[in-house]
Amino acid sequence: MNETNRGVNRAVLLLTGLALLVGGTGLVLAATRQDTAVLWDGSWSTVISWLRQTEEATRLGRTTVSGLAIAVLAALLVVVMVAVVVLARLGGGRSTVVVREDAIDGVRGAVVIRQGFASDAITRSLSSRTEILMSRVSASTVRGTTVLHVSVTPRRGTSPPEVATTAVGLVDNLAALTGREVPALISIRSGARARLGSDRPRVG
Amino acid sequence: MAHPVLARVVRRETHSPRTAAAVAVIVLVVAAAIGSGLEIVRYLLGAAPLLARPAAVLTWLAALPAAEPRAAVAAAAVAVAVVGAVLLWLAAAPGRRSVHVLGSAAHAVVVDDAAIAAAVAERVGREIDLPQGAVVVGIGHRTADVTVRPDLDQVVDEEHVREVAAGELAGYGPARMRVRVRVLRRGSSR
Repeated sequence: MNETNRGVNRAVLLLTGLALLVGGTGLVLAATRQDTAVLWDGSWSTVISWLRQTEEATRLGRTTVSGLAIAVLAALLVVVMVAVVVLARLGGGRSTVVVREDAIDGVRGAVVIRQGFASDAITRSLSSRTEILMSRVSASTVRGTTVLHVSVTPRRGTSPPEVATTAVGLVDNLAALTGREVPALISIRSGARARLGSDRPRVG
Repeated sequence: MAHPVLARVVRRETHSPRTAAAVAVIVLVVAAAIGSGLEIVRYLLGAAPLLARPAAVLTWLAALPAAEPRAAVAAAAVAVAVVGAVLLWLAAAPGRRSVHVLGSAAHAVVVDDAAIAAAVAERVGREIDLPQGAVVVGIGHRTADVTVRPDLDQVVDEEHVREVAAGELAGYGPARMRVRVRVLRRGSSR
């Protein structure tokens, strides 16, 4: 759970997918059909002759450098920069503060409850239960609201609603303790450890 | 779900962000852009190309449909088109993760399907008293497939298995799942 811009991810896939699909299909048709081959040759020779002419027209003095080459390099640089920005903005949205109560009249100072406190409180309580193998608590900021994410791996075969009730109870206890309701996402997972830690208590 | 932000959280938790595919594509695009840029700069400086001169690449592309062997070109082109189609599919498909949302009051609860399957198998195995490993459960978005393989001397009623599995799933809230039960005989293939 993070604040990755998923629309950007999808747009990247859409644009590259479209380009590859069109290019691949065009090449298949050009390699197999005469009329598309003519079209392919025609378009490419137009493009190449246009590039040659533009390169000559924009040549700077007697050098090999042309305005066209500079423009292409600039475009490539923009592509790389956009890509770096997209990569740098992946993830994020993690928060270290669960509750922040600013100093107001009648209260001497601001109150801040950090993620570590909430995390410790919840994971300690969960680890005392035998049906819970592992739990992890993190906080993230979603649209300006702090959300607690409790990830629980119960012993294999444990009924998820029971685990959910336990975890919701702990989150509510924390809310009662801090006096502030924090919305929570509880995700119940079956990890590799759940598979190893499976046991079936039987009677008889 | 009491808090409106949880709707967004749940949607993001139940759908794939497509980050892995997007990062792979971006890395390849950046590599291609840097490669092209280097070749252009080397061409401008009059240095020998690393792989090919920019103009040579363009003429090679233009002549590609007529290049030999024809079959290899066509196959490579089909491969490119298929990769494109896969990327388009990744971009457009909902990318639902194999998880279910439990109907809970104040907070959002998301359970992964393997955990549900294990719980259903456990409940069925315990209530019908089957040996461990005799119940296999597969959970889909709207279906639960329960396969039971009892011992030879044990009679298992399909309807009873269905009731037990549905009973376990009924505790999960609003998501209705259709339960399908198969009872296999030992030594038979189905």
